[in-house]
Amino acid sequence: MKDRNLARGLFLVAISLAFGLTSRNYSIGDFARAGPGLFPAVVSALLFLIGIATVIRSFFVERVPMDVHVKNIAIILGSLCSFALVSLFVNMIAGIVVMVFLSTLAGTSYSWKRNLKISAGLVAMALVFSKGLGLSLPLY
Amino acid sequence: MEVLNNLAFGFEHALTLQNLMFCALGCTVGTLVGLLPGLGPLATISLLLPLTYSIPTGGALIMLAGIYYGAQYGDSVSAITMKIPHASSIVACIDGYQMTLKGKTGLALFTAGVSSFIGGTVAIVVLAWLAPVLGEVAFLFGPADYCALMLVGFVCVSFVTTGSLLNGMAMCLIGVLLGQIGTDVNSGVQRFTMDLPFLADGIGIVSIALGCFGIAEITKNLDNREERSPFNGKIKLMPTWPEFKRIIPSALRGSAVGSFLGILPGGGPVIAQFAAYAIDKKVSKYKDEIGTGCIEGVAGQAAADEAAARTSFIPLMSIGIPENAVMALMMAAFIIKGIQPGPNMIAGHPDLFWGLVASMWIGNVFLLVLNVPLVRYWLSVFKIPYNVLFPCILFFCCIGTYSVNNNLDDIFITAGFGLMGYLMMRLELDASPLMLGFILGPMLEENFRRALLISRGSFSTFITRPISGTLLSLIGLFIAWQLIAFILQSRKKVAPAAEQPA
Repeated sequence: MKDRNLARGLFLVAISLAFGLTSRNYSIGDFARAGPGLFPAVVSALLFLIGIATVIRSFFVERVPMDVHVKNIAIILGSLCSFALVSLFVNMIAGIVVMVFLSTLAGTSYSWKRNLKISAGLVAMALVFSKGLGLSLPLY
Repeated sequence: MEVLNNLAFGFEHALTLQNLMFCALGCTVGTLVGLLPGLGPLATISLLLPLTYSIPTGGALIMLAGIYYGAQYGDSVSAITMKIPHASSIVACIDGYQMTLKGKTGLALFTAGVSSFIGGTVAIVVLAWLAPVLGEVAFLFGPADYCALMLVGFVCVSFVTTGSLLNGMAMCLIGVLLGQIGTDVNSGVQRFTMDLPFLADGIGIVSIALGCFGIAEITKNLDNREERSPFNGKIKLMPTWPEFKRIIPSALRGSAVGSFLGILPGGGPVIAQFAAYAIDKKVSKYKDEIGTGCIEGVAGQAAADEAAARTSFIPLMSIGIPENAVMALMMAAFIIKGIQPGPNMIAGHPDLFWGLVASMWIGNVFLLVLNVPLVRYWLSVFKIPYNVLFPCILFFCCIGTYSVNNNLDDIFITAGFGLMGYLMMRLELDASPLMLGFILGPMLEENFRRALLISRGSFSTFITRPISGTLLSLIGLFIAWQLIAFILQSRKKVAPAAEQPA
């Protein structure tokens, strides 16, 4: 994406359309007896206007390039999701270890030894949370 | 006199051994987590929220408040020593960091601590006196007035936190729309759930806060590699007497400014810091030194920061409407503990309310006697390399999200908001108005529907009621002013394009 201001406007328009078009599935009612669809429709209409205004404005102001590093955010989100999946199907201790080993791929350096130490520390922390503070974590 | 009685009553509740412990624990943990790069008060509070689940209500609220102040102090410490510009302590970076460059880190940290204490003390007096009074005013508010008040809050927050009304309002509205997800209370219809069962109760605010502030910040730090701090590890905390004397006047000015700005909708620590700094720059005896690393540049803004952080509880606890993103999160935490903040809170739970007020001051004392002398140990957090730190923060994000409902599905929601928060950050959209919109969204809809129901569908009720009419015309004036300013500015730009503020 070359123009951040334009991208922002399009982002807002997309969100307003996603909510606005869905809200047509719910009954609107009238103003005195508002249905569940009325308020979201009004709000997404306002958001749509702001999005359009941002798009129009982007043609008049200087273009700013947008930089996105896909790798880091993908690694972080991937490690979060695998934490949830592994915790669901195996247990949370395995989830923590998997998360540490995956997420550190985004760091500047990678070391198995260090990851083992971090995992051990975090598992110990999780045990303290569940035993000491009474959080119910499916650790094993 | 009544205020004194009430305060004494509050201290009775706050000074139990248990509550003292919760307060100290909250302050300490809050400071420690707040110190970590990339974690401001919002992320810190949502990370530590699960710690309070198994604690009785009074203690939990006290601990949460402690976490908040601790996080703020920790934030200003990282601003002074590392120049990590968190939104919440951006002004502390200016003079505080300059003092670190001069090797006066200890003095800067001491000044920040003492000024925070002064600011907090002044603000608590204001809070104890004003909150009950405002609570009575709140009973005059009808549904239309609440709508107008929330809109004022949106406009102010948008303008203050993002500087751009358009972007800020857009974020507020996105927040409101996200708040619509889940079951509609009036009709029972499930809205925007995409038939996913775990969305039926709506999205958790902790998921949004951790996604937009925790995950997005971690990724941002990973994207741009951080630099080392010039902080050399040596700290001389105690100031000399003449140095100490310089703290007082500017801290008092900061307290007054902070207490006032903290009450206004959209106000709060950030704008208070800027205002206090600007005032010191105008009237201080040492105004020429400000900006180069002098005591006044730190003292005034630290006092204002702390004062505003406390007085921003006033609208939340007396009217029931949070005025900024941190207070929105606080409100969510109150509701999780079964307390609905609002005019009925002071009357219905006087022990909680006055206990909380008293514990704020106790928290201040803890910050002063625990954190300031111990700050050299806290700073060892910075010695942890980021490669070790960020998996740990991720772990806390996971545990924090999971423990809200003991539900692993919530982690996927947090991940989704991490992506959204990252995109918004890259699009220069600030996520704090979104948080406010999210919390106020359901209230706004409820009051909007109720106002129209009472007026039989006529919108004139928003104009003819004196309170909402006044508030709405203020918004109208503000928007008109913004439009005129924009047009004038773009005209000026056509002539000489040189005079652009950097």
